[in-house]
Amino acid sequence: MNAPSPALVAPRPERLRLVGQRRQLLAVMHQRLMFGMLVYAGIVALIALRILYLAAFGDHAGRKEGLTELIPERGDIVDRNGDPLARTIDAWTIAIHPNKVIGDKLTLAQRLAELMPEQSAEQYFAMLRSGKTFFYLRRRASPTLVEAVNAIGEPGLAIEREPDRLYPQTALAAHVLGYTDIDGHGVAGMERAFDKELSDAATRGAPLTLSIDSRVQQALEHELSAAMAKFSAIGAAGVVMDVHTGEVLAMTSLPEINPNMPGASPPEARFNRATQGVYELGSTFKPFTVAMAMESGVVKSFGQQYNCPQVLPAYGHLVHDTHPFGRICTVAEIMEESSNIGTAQIADQLGRERQKYWLGKMGFLGPVPIELRERGRALTPGSRWGPFETMTVGFGQGIAVAPLQLAMGYATLFNGGVYHPPTLLKVGTGHPLPPGKRVFSEDTSYRMRALLRLVVMKGTGKKADAPGYRVGGKTGTAQKLINGRYSQTINITSFAGVFPMDDPRYVIVAMLDEPKATPDTFGFTTAGWNVAPVVSGTISRIAPMLGVQPDMNREPDMSQVLPFVHDAKQDAKKD
Amino acid sequence: MSSRSFRSVFMVASCAGAALGCYLVSLRVASERAQLEDVETRIVLAQRDMRVLQTEIGTRGRLSQLERWNAGAFALSAPAADQFLKGSFELARLAQPEHKVDFQAPVVLASAPAPEPAKPLAREPQADESGAATSVAPNALLHQASLKTETREVPARSVVALPQTTARSTDKPANAAKPALKESVEKPGLAASHPAAKKPTPKQAAATPRPSPKKSVDKPAVASSMPVTKPVRIAKVDPLAPLPARHSGNSKDFHAER
Repeated sequence: MNAPSPALVAPRPERLRLVGQRRQLLAVMHQRLMFGMLVYAGIVALIALRILYLAAFGDHAGRKEGLTELIPERGDIVDRNGDPLARTIDAWTIAIHPNKVIGDKLTLAQRLAELMPEQSAEQYFAMLRSGKTFFYLRRRASPTLVEAVNAIGEPGLAIEREPDRLYPQTALAAHVLGYTDIDGHGVAGMERAFDKELSDAATRGAPLTLSIDSRVQQALEHELSAAMAKFSAIGAAGVVMDVHTGEVLAMTSLPEINPNMPGASPPEARFNRATQGVYELGSTFKPFTVAMAMESGVVKSFGQQYNCPQVLPAYGHLVHDTHPFGRICTVAEIMEESSNIGTAQIADQLGRERQKYWLGKMGFLGPVPIELRERGRALTPGSRWGPFETMTVGFGQGIAVAPLQLAMGYATLFNGGVYHPPTLLKVGTGHPLPPGKRVFSEDTSYRMRALLRLVVMKGTGKKADAPGYRVGGKTGTAQKLINGRYSQTINITSFAGVFPMDDPRYVIVAMLDEPKATPDTFGFTTAGWNVAPVVSGTISRIAPMLGVQPDMNREPDMSQVLPFVHDAKQDAKKD
Repeated sequence: MSSRSFRSVFMVASCAGAALGCYLVSLRVASERAQLEDVETRIVLAQRDMRVLQTEIGTRGRLSQLERWNAGAFALSAPAADQFLKGSFELARLAQPEHKVDFQAPVVLASAPAPEPAKPLAREPQADESGAATSVAPNALLHQASLKTETREVPARSVVALPQTTARSTDKPANAAKPALKESVEKPGLAASHPAAKKPTPKQAAATPRPSPKKSVDKPAVASSMPVTKPVRIAKVDPLAPLPARHSGNSKDFHAER
């Protein structure tokens, strides 16, 4: 109907006149018309198709992008049980645009000083008259403060929400977690080490699961800080580690920082004593020397005897003991009473090369193997590593390692002799256990159990015993190097323990920096008096949580050592 | 105008109708999807709120705060090793009723003759449970205690001894003091006697027939062979008599009842 049929057009007389010309013209016009219609139809069709496509597959108005999934601005950090240790929340921020202020600036400054007394009214007033465009007044403001500021009703005040990092457990595991800067980038701890994973949109949806157990961490921190306060120590460090996987269940460094307000804590508190600080940990090293000697065939039995005089002259120096035997003693007794003289002789027999070999194998000669960037590097005698240094390294002087390394060494020694690098990530599907590296033989590992249990049962570590949990371990009291000289009065005391000793599962290392004597300790500042009770208290709290059943009737096989311990000494004491 | 000439019109109309139908369907789908997304958004918002609340609760109930309360306010400490049980058997053992030492119970000396233990065993437990033993018990108490625990037992004995059973004489030496527990285990008769001792008067009345069993040591003997025991008691009665009679009231009651 739209298309005119030739029958209707033809009868018109005008058209018949100029048939030839008009025909041509008409044909051209038809062509053009058809072309225009095609173009028009094409455009309409295109639009219609596009509309249909959008209706079927496209985004529609009102669609909210990104809200269909909850992805935090920065990934959560959770402990091994899923309890949050770090989260990003929306915090209130109060700011001001001075050039948009309408009301009386003086009144506003006074009101602001009332609400936020960290600055005076004069400072606020100067801020308002400065002519600058923007000032932050308070970040992470409390809702009540926000309400009060909002009630001022000044349009120049900006109240906004912005993502902020919150550590719900405050100072718990602060040195492990680290903290972020104002822009939300990690500058310490795991926040720094895993900054990329935590801020990348692709990976931040899933929380970062640490190997830390917050309950264990709390127990360790509490016991350590109590001891630190009691003995007026300047610092403390502690590590609890799973011997079979190398997972660090708790790691603390005191004094602590509050990662929610990292700027408020003193700079020295940011120092991680557990991984960054290296210390001469003293006698806690002796079990390694004995184990190395056993592996090398130097010590064949705990009954092997050494001459232990009051003072041992060696290579132009004198080696002293706190409790000299002054007689012949066995390896078991050397460990029990933590004799430097005895251990020095074992180390001497072992020799420098073998000592270096074993220390290297145990990871004591390199940097601390941990995910954190804040990690130290063991200090060794280096080029001065002569025969006397071999002796001193044998009893833990002259070599400085981080407490975490010490825990790692004990884990290696007591898990059957296999080295696993310590890790702060939970071992599981996302983080499989890397293959271990054998260092000691299983036999050596097994026999060492009795030796360390002896130290706690009868020797210097009696106060570290937690009844029923079969604690074994070694005390360590090292003189602190101050201005290049070993102080005779200032110590670093440490204790490295393993429990349960009949089937070792966890290692615990505690260290106190410069503990002072108290009436309780009868003037002593040795490890057996101040840091051993920390270990006892911590183990009796954490062992049940870790699934270690207390049992008063179980003990490791003590027949290896008990026959070689001289009882006459105790008799003499009684007399 | 045939239908043929309208064919094109129909074609266009049907095409337009089909296109409109398709469009309506897709519109419907889109609106459904929008609703779904609304729900999803609400879910996410709810999750966010939960997160905020969880964070707040977690922050307020942080471990260091709990520690402060536990250690400071409640003075809690870690359980000691002996507070852990290894299984249901150890737990059941805790529920076992505690054996109290019954001072009024007759005490049997190791040297005391325990005649015919087998039969009395069966009877005595019954007596205990029923409470029937009560009537007998007081008497037994008095006699036995006389030697070591003068006060309670002595008066009763004097009274009891006269009417009922001299047989207890055997018991008296035996009943030293408190070993009631052991006795009960060893000799069922004793066990029976304890309850009796505690509640002398009323029970006695009820259980008059069983007086003999009550006397712990003797009971076995009494049940089976009353006559034998009685004569023995008579001999002992005399030494007991002089002792002070605190429980005389009770003893009197017993007499009356009996």
